[in-house]
Amino acid sequence: MNTRIAILALLLITSTAARAQQAPPSGDILVQNATVLTITQGTLTSADILILDGKIAALGEEISPPEGATVIDATGLYVMPGIIDAHSHIGVSNVNEPTAPVTAQVSVGDVLNPYSVSIYRALAGGVTTSHVMHGSANVIGGQNETIKHRWGMTDPAALRMAGAPRTIKFALGENPTRVHGRGNSVRPASRMGVEYVLRETFSKAERYRESWKRYEGEIRTDARAIPPPYNGQLEVITDILTGDILIHCHSYRADEILMLLDVLEDFGVDRVTFQHVNEGFKIAPELAAFGKHGAAASVFADWWAYKFEVYYSTAYNAAILARNGVLTSINSDSGELNRHLYHEAAKSQKYGDLSDDEALALITINPAKQLGIEDRVGSIEVGKDGDLALFTAHPLSIYAIPQTTIIDGRVYFDRDRDPDDVRLQVDPEAAVDIAVLHEKHDHQACLEDGSLTVYDLAQELE
Amino acid sequence: MRAFFAPLLLGLWLFFLPIFAHGQVNSGEEIPTVTRTHALVNARVVQAPTRMLERATVVIRDGLITAVGSDVTIPFDAEKIAADSLTVYAGFIDGLSHAGIPEPPKAANEERPENPGFPPDAMAGIQPGRDVRTLLDPTQQNLKDLRAAGFTAAHVVPRGGMLPGSGAIILLAGEHANDLVVKGNTALFAQITPARRMYPATDMGVIATMRQLYREAARRKRIDELYNKDPAGLERPAYDPVHYALFPVLGGATPVYFHTEDALDLHRILLLRSELEFPVVLTGLGQSFEVVDKLRQAGHPLLLGTKFPKAPKQKGQEPADSTKAQPTDAAAELPEVAIPAYRKDLRTMSYTDVDAERKNLEARRDLERKKYLTNAATLHEAGLSFGFTTLDTKPADIIGNVRTMIEHGLPEHAALAALTTTPAEILGVSSSMGTVDVGKMANLVVTKGSIFENDVTIRYVFIDGAKFVLEPDQEKQDSTETEESGDSRASRVAMPQEDAERARDLTEVRASRTNR
Amino acid sequence: MMAFFFSLILATGLVATPAPDSVIALTNARIVTVTGDTIERGTLVMDRDVIVALGPDVAIPQSARVIDCTGLTIYPGLIDSGTQIGLVEVGSLAETRDGSELGDLSPQMKALTAVNPNGVAIPVTRISGVTTVLTEPSGGMLPGQAALINLHGYTPMQMYAGFEGVALRFPRTGRRGRFDRRSDEDVQKAADKAQKKLDDTWDGGELYHRIDSTYRAAPEQGRRPEYVPSMAALLPVIRGKQTLIIYVDTAKDIEAAIKWVEERKIQKVVFSGLAEGWRVADKLAAANIPCLVGPVLSVPTRSSDRYDKAYANASLLHEAGVTVALRSDDTANARNLPYHAGFAATYGLEKEAALRAVTTVPAEIFGVADRLGSLEVGKEATLFVADGDPFETRTRIHHVFIAGYDIPMESRHTRLYDEFLSRDPALKKHERN
Repeated sequence: MNTRIAILALLLITSTAARAQQAPPSGDILVQNATVLTITQGTLTSADILILDGKIAALGEEISPPEGATVIDATGLYVMPGIIDAHSHIGVSNVNEPTAPVTAQVSVGDVLNPYSVSIYRALAGGVTTSHVMHGSANVIGGQNETIKHRWGMTDPAALRMAGAPRTIKFALGENPTRVHGRGNSVRPASRMGVEYVLRETFSKAERYRESWKRYEGEIRTDARAIPPPYNGQLEVITDILTGDILIHCHSYRADEILMLLDVLEDFGVDRVTFQHVNEGFKIAPELAAFGKHGAAASVFADWWAYKFEVYYSTAYNAAILARNGVLTSINSDSGELNRHLYHEAAKSQKYGDLSDDEALALITINPAKQLGIEDRVGSIEVGKDGDLALFTAHPLSIYAIPQTTIIDGRVYFDRDRDPDDVRLQVDPEAAVDIAVLHEKHDHQACLEDGSLTVYDLAQELE
Repeated sequence: MRAFFAPLLLGLWLFFLPIFAHGQVNSGEEIPTVTRTHALVNARVVQAPTRMLERATVVIRDGLITAVGSDVTIPFDAEKIAADSLTVYAGFIDGLSHAGIPEPPKAANEERPENPGFPPDAMAGIQPGRDVRTLLDPTQQNLKDLRAAGFTAAHVVPRGGMLPGSGAIILLAGEHANDLVVKGNTALFAQITPARRMYPATDMGVIATMRQLYREAARRKRIDELYNKDPAGLERPAYDPVHYALFPVLGGATPVYFHTEDALDLHRILLLRSELEFPVVLTGLGQSFEVVDKLRQAGHPLLLGTKFPKAPKQKGQEPADSTKAQPTDAAAELPEVAIPAYRKDLRTMSYTDVDAERKNLEARRDLERKKYLTNAATLHEAGLSFGFTTLDTKPADIIGNVRTMIEHGLPEHAALAALTTTPAEILGVSSSMGTVDVGKMANLVVTKGSIFENDVTIRYVFIDGAKFVLEPDQEKQDSTETEESGDSRASRVAMPQEDAERARDLTEVRASRTNR
Repeated sequence: MMAFFFSLILATGLVATPAPDSVIALTNARIVTVTGDTIERGTLVMDRDVIVALGPDVAIPQSARVIDCTGLTIYPGLIDSGTQIGLVEVGSLAETRDGSELGDLSPQMKALTAVNPNGVAIPVTRISGVTTVLTEPSGGMLPGQAALINLHGYTPMQMYAGFEGVALRFPRTGRRGRFDRRSDEDVQKAADKAQKKLDDTWDGGELYHRIDSTYRAAPEQGRRPEYVPSMAALLPVIRGKQTLIIYVDTAKDIEAAIKWVEERKIQKVVFSGLAEGWRVADKLAAANIPCLVGPVLSVPTRSSDRYDKAYANASLLHEAGVTVALRSDDTANARNLPYHAGFAATYGLEKEAALRAVTTVPAEIFGVADRLGSLEVGKEATLFVADGDPFETRTRIHHVFIAGYDIPMESRHTRLYDEFLSRDPALKKHERN
């Protein structure tokens, strides 16, 4: 809640109520006798993990179960921190507001959909936290939301990871230039235009911030001072410039990534995570050197060639970036891939020889850092959230099966006990045998389909 | 169960057909009303949901209820209606409706803005300045249809997108648009309805737009106030009908009627409301069984929709006829088909389980469907009172659907309150509508049989004292000795006598209204 | 822009060394023959394109180039039973997509014609051990003929691996992704319309077959039948000489397709896709129609399905007695075929059956088992050498041979790694004036 909204709230006479948000349920669990992949503190064999009131309370051997705690015998199982997907579009009613090159005022957090079964399916792949993102149709798209996969809660607010920093989606390159420039004859139609959409918007926000600062001064001495126009979009941009909102930028080509780094440098922003960033490998040193902490990269394990800007790609991208000191994660951007991120992470061992801990960090502590939630999740450490994924084998093995997934000390997925049909809501009118077939994630499949419009495709851009 | 509906359906069907003929034949040729004084003699009078007189007379004069009781003097100029076998209720009030509002022409939807990011407000569905009173058309069929379902007044709002305009309370009869209006500027209508292919094209865009409009309106209101107080030294505030239309909401004077059937939308609306703090009435609420606790905590007035999901096609069953009113409960309808109990833990291990799976999923779907049918009872049991809104319900289905709610646990008095007193309270018209009490507007429904019985027929509707005949009374014609002949004629004042035009006997007769 | 683009393709397409060494011996290797016993430590000798010797005690010819495979395992090259490799270069660019012709009825179109041997995905795929793929046309009811190709060669015909099948996209009642918002009725109507079109087309094909056969029996007595290329392309299928590949996914459609195949007496037929195959596995087994199943890595078809049904599908089909080969249904990432097999194995399919589903079974289905799919003397030297279980993610492939060609273990992906892992020099950023 910033000053402008506070002032406007005063103008409304009524006070702004705090969002009524109940704390999500948490539990007590003792996981016994597991191989524990802590990620940050090595691997423990035959270890116990005690979670009390949703937080990891102890880590060690032969911890005795407190009264009332659920005890899980994890003999023969591997336990890793709940997997974090830094790029997802599940669990929301809308993905893209594709109508303008800048739509910072919208937020997917406003349209979370806890009924979406993809939340459960990811949970069944060991994922406990997802960064649910706006689509990539806009240079500055909507705000994202970091959620926990608390399947079963039907209040959208229960999905939110309270306290996670706000983030926003940016997008460079083909998608925004196609949708706006070529689709609507609205700038940008080129990467040159993309740069100036950014510079213009940032500059406007600076002036917006100044106009409110001026007003805040004036109103102290002049009760009749006129407040400047309220602009929800520039409010958000202002928060980006002050660092309150973290940028996650859909990008592929090295040149456009460097462009954004230059723009951010000019406007004094020094935290950014590039998403996809297929050509990140070319400029890994530049990414690592950016700002105080370096620019981060969240990549696909091996996706490429679905469009021209990812033709010049390598599956070794994650390894090259990691080896060059870039904070790197592997994400899914897909309701299919997010069910086996552990397998996606393992590909970094085939493509670049990462160690087990390095590979697993790509889907745990590294994305946690990119989302600004590393003090809460991403490793198994005392004091962190009780978010765990239990596997039947080492999670980097193709033969590993996610067995149990725990969030805040509560079991949300149990392979042995869960019913087949986990839906929380059933269409009372629909036939029970409706099948939705595999979607090829290529544009050809979409374009062949007469029932799809260009507009649907724009909404689909991820 | 469908068979039980036959009498009602037949009545409504007969009612529908000739209405057009009526308009054609009688246009410009109305038989004058003889009197605006009526007496419903010896009726069962349900004055309010929990207040009933077994045998009483209701006198109507000059648009008002002037007497209710067993011992009342019937004025000399009254048309006496023998109501021994009839029940009198307060006229039903539709809490939110598009009655009398024509559908916009199709072409308007095809307009494309030059820049989809910045469309003109009206194109994007942002029309809070639109006054529903300017849109009313008294010839709209849905006015007549609602009357036939026992409704006498409605709170109407414009059709449209996210902010279609402001509402008005209307009577469901009148010669001219202005005749209908009881009260304007009652509400700002809102829905999470995105624009097509222009901003806001998504639910999240709509929510962001509402925030923007609301906060900017607050600022403009502030400037407007400063300027009105003393313009010296201040730049003239630009007139802007969109933001200005929000001022009454900002001040708390006008509530936002926020409509949705969807549980997720309800969460979103409640969150937005707690952020912006506008006064709100929640309407629709088809999936409110999912949000009961939150609704109870929030304590906003509620208007529940009267529409149910369609019964799904069962395998091997004939497709449901969607043109007929669906009496809804598939289980009750087909008692001989044993629906297997839903087993949550049923596993479909291989092809051998596929049949069991299908049956199980159908059982689950039927359970899920029940939630919609019991929704009203669920709200009631949670201590939430509500009025009804008929938005999106076919008028012919309304009473049958309310009956289904009753069959699924809603007490009759609560159902009646939802049709009368509660909407009157929510709309702030309790002093003039909602009960059969002296001094109230003469809005009445007169039925043969209790309104929630299967074989009920609605005989008369009185609106502002004007009588509308909905059903000919064959039995009554056979037993005219109990009835004073003059009354009988009066009640059929506009009915042609010829057999060839008998169909029209079955239609309503509109007594012309003289004082509006 | 496009000129630049095409030159990029040409410049970066990798083709293997031109001529194979005449004799190569892979020694000290574990040899998984698939059809026979696994040899725990042995030697495999290739002479040009053929395996000439294989066993624990094989004499190594004098002339042989010896590759020591200690600690490594030899497998037959993996076969992906459904890709668009060579037909689609960049998914979003129409200029680079050649797998789809206009119209619903184009069974005469041959995928092999359009296979681009320089496709950048080809080396990317083969160095993951996937040596042979079915590459498929798409679009329309009868989109054309799929071709089995080896992922090495200068020309399509050099790549051709000996099988072409006519593709048929069976009328569908499933929804095409989550943006398909048609009503149940509209979906059914579209399927019924497509079914009628298919039946009418097949009637036409059968009529054409009768006319054509009569003419052929006595050409001097008649005149040549009309030139109807789409019908002519159906003749080999109608005459039982060529395989019809029917793409079909939902349970209902599979049942309809089985019935249709019976009614039309299609002799050579395989099904492909089979997302809901497990639901009608018994019927598929009874119909004795081989199935090209996949992708395994996909989401369940119904929201009420258990989350892992797509993983388990191949296994459930196999258990019911269906002949199962696997397909990635991918192009750029057909290299992940071993992981599709790995997931099938993890979720119920025996590892051996999973391996057969990407080797011998497709080789048999495509009628090329005499040359491909297993390691036996006399078969084609199309194989790879790995340092572990080929389904395990971390396993590296050390050598790939396609028809005896020692494939360079390079692709765009490996070369960019080599170039950029330790980029040198650190480039100077020039200041603008």
